Amino acid sequence: MKSVWARIFCRLLVALMIWTPYQFATAGMIGTDRVVTESTQADRAAVLGFVARGDVARQLQSLGIDPKTAQDRIGALSDQEVQSLAGKIHSLPAGADGTDVAVGILIIAVIAVVVWYLWKRM
Amino acid sequence: MTLGAKPIQSARLIAGVFAFACAALLHGCASFTPQTKSLAESRPAGVPGARELTEVPFFAQNDYQCGPASLAMAMVAAGVKVTPDELVPEVYLPERKGSLQVEMLAAARRHGLVSYQLAPSYADVIREIAAGTPVIVLQNLGIKEGWHYAVAIGYDWDNGMLQLRSGLNERQELPFAMNEMVWRRSGYWAMVVVPPERIPASADEQRWLAAVAALERTGQSAAARSAYRTFLERWPANVNAAIGLANAHHALGELREAEAVLREAALRAPDSVVVLNNLAQTLADQGRYGEALPYAERAVATGGPHADAASQTRNTILRNLGRGN
Repeated sequence: MKSVWARIFCRLLVALMIWTPYQFATAGMIGTDRVVTESTQADRAAVLGFVARGDVARQLQSLGIDPKTAQDRIGALSDQEVQSLAGKIHSLPAGADGTDVAVGILIIAVIAVVVWYLWKRM
Repeated sequence: MTLGAKPIQSARLIAGVFAFACAALLHGCASFTPQTKSLAESRPAGVPGARELTEVPFFAQNDYQCGPASLAMAMVAAGVKVTPDELVPEVYLPERKGSLQVEMLAAARRHGLVSYQLAPSYADVIREIAAGTPVIVLQNLGIKEGWHYAVAIGYDWDNGMLQLRSGLNERQELPFAMNEMVWRRSGYWAMVVVPPERIPASADEQRWLAAVAALERTGQSAAARSAYRTFLERWPANVNAAIGLANAHHALGELREAEAVLREAALRAPDSVVVLNNLAQTLADQGRYGEALPYAERAVATGGPHADAASQTRNTILRNLGRGN
């Protein structure tokens, strides 16, 4: 009985050892994003990006995105992009249909443009 | 709604132009449209007098959703089957009632395309259209927060006109100057999406490489692999692109291919810590610790900002060699 358990234990250990080098392997490759920007900048971006990702995910959620979708969306951003969003999601341009114009202003605008056109023509 | 939409949108456009004109007057601006002026002086080199990409599909936007609609038009033109509705959960922010610029760039990557933000240049937009790539531009049609994405699909240089798919308007024709006034307010923000086998006509080597690396980072390793290959055909001397190609191979488990690319790169850049480290790692991953060690030693000896990673790689290899003996 004891030897059976010992054998199972040993097999388990062997199986686990197969995984060890692989895990080191992925840790050992230096990523492309580290070389495409200036390396000190890339390091900084990586560190800040790591912190910012959680931040930005929370902000996305506060703007009506569910947590899973927020994670997926953050995952598609580069470190620099995440940083550009951090703390600014509420103020950055959000392209929509261009409405912030009251009708009154519109009328003034149309008149002004007409005047301007006429003035340009003279 | 559809009936009233066109006049409302043109009214918005006029309002946008007006808002810009006021701002320009207040600032005492010498010229409203500096880029239109230089465009008028000379046509960008190598582009025909006019081109319109009539094959770009049109998706009318739903309320506020010009982001998903514009992106879908550009992505379908790049060969990805997608609808605006599918892109809503990827780019739209309900509480902001709009889509952010970086998310527009990011979403296309999730579908295996490379997104590229153009230089803030009218000539580059013309160049892209001439090469067959529609360009997404960010305009401001309001007084302050009237941000709007539209897709530039054609130009007529002789008459100074730009054609766009915009909102509910399948074919909007604007004078260069009028578009510049509303587009300028986003800092001339424009982007294209292309399949990994293509390089945009206006692409700059460094910025294009960063765009491909961003695709690789999202885990689109197969698409990144093709993009790096295409990149190296155009700029074969770029060692960083070789590092990227090898990383994409590595992520796909193609260790032999990664090794071959890195060995070739090591000949051209014998002092690159990243090349040496990654080559050592790739050999170690194949269990060839003895071969890996000299490269790891060289990486450590070269030093620099990646020295820590290199000594970690070396220590791992040494540990494995010790285990083998």
